[in-house]
Amino acid sequence: MTLSLIEGVLLVFVLCCAIGAAVLRDVLASLMAFAAYSLGISIIWVMLEAPDVGLTEAAVGAGIMTILFILALANTVRPQENGLFESISVPTVVLVGAFVVVMIATVPSLPAVGADGAANPVVSGEVTQYYIDNAYADTEVKNGVTAVLAAYRGFDTLGEAVVVFSAGVAALTVLRQEVFA
Amino acid sequence: MFELLNSHYNYFAVMLLLGIGLYMLIESQNLVKKVIGMNIFQTGIFLFFITLAFRAGGNPPIIKEGGGPYVSPLPHVLILTAIVVGVSLTAVALALIIRIYTEYGTLDEDKLKQLYYD
Repeated sequence: MTLSLIEGVLLVFVLCCAIGAAVLRDVLASLMAFAAYSLGISIIWVMLEAPDVGLTEAAVGAGIMTILFILALANTVRPQENGLFESISVPTVVLVGAFVVVMIATVPSLPAVGADGAANPVVSGEVTQYYIDNAYADTEVKNGVTAVLAAYRGFDTLGEAVVVFSAGVAALTVLRQEVFA
Repeated sequence: MFELLNSHYNYFAVMLLLGIGLYMLIESQNLVKKVIGMNIFQTGIFLFFITLAFRAGGNPPIIKEGGGPYVSPLPHVLILTAIVVGVSLTAVALALIIRIYTEYGTLDEDKLKQLYYD
């Protein structure tokens, strides 16, 4: 599948937002660039036929995450410094550039975007085929993502709940807030 | 090179997002911006998974008669879990940042290092 105009525009938009988050000096401006980035990437999820991930990203990534960051900024400090952009450090750019070049060297061995059949074992593999064939008969849920999340991989979701609980306990412990006192 | 970009465009975006996230983690002096960089790095990995699950002409995995072909639901589930875990991670990191600020009165990495070694 070749790059369509809307996907190209979205990818350029998220990359610009990410670069903006990196180089803007003001923390709040950087945070707003990150929120726009999350919104753009949630539209990319919908373009890639992943509406569940898009909804979660828009609600949790762009919504709750931004609120958490704003709360943190309200409780700490927003340094007032001169200049719109941070200065770029050349040694770090060289280091990160080398990392990106090494990573891009692996791209030709990956399947093309949208490939199926033998070229892309993820979409045509046995596991995917089993879920799609049996999800409705086994769980009576029409949404394949929900069936895998809640039934086939229910223990993963239980583990996720444990992580969220521990994170809540850890955050309250660190902040020394005794909500039940 | 242009042909590769045209057929593997999302993977180039993944690698560039990883690079931008890594740059922020290394270079940003402000701790809050480091956490933003960590989130951009994470989203790059999410894009890699969701792109692998995609097939051209596929539909979202809502199973119905004659609705196929579907994209793979499994990477979507893994990434749903990872998004929620990422938010938990951000929440703990920001709680630590608030605590650091109440103890030291700054979020600047260099100043924190100085205060720590003095």
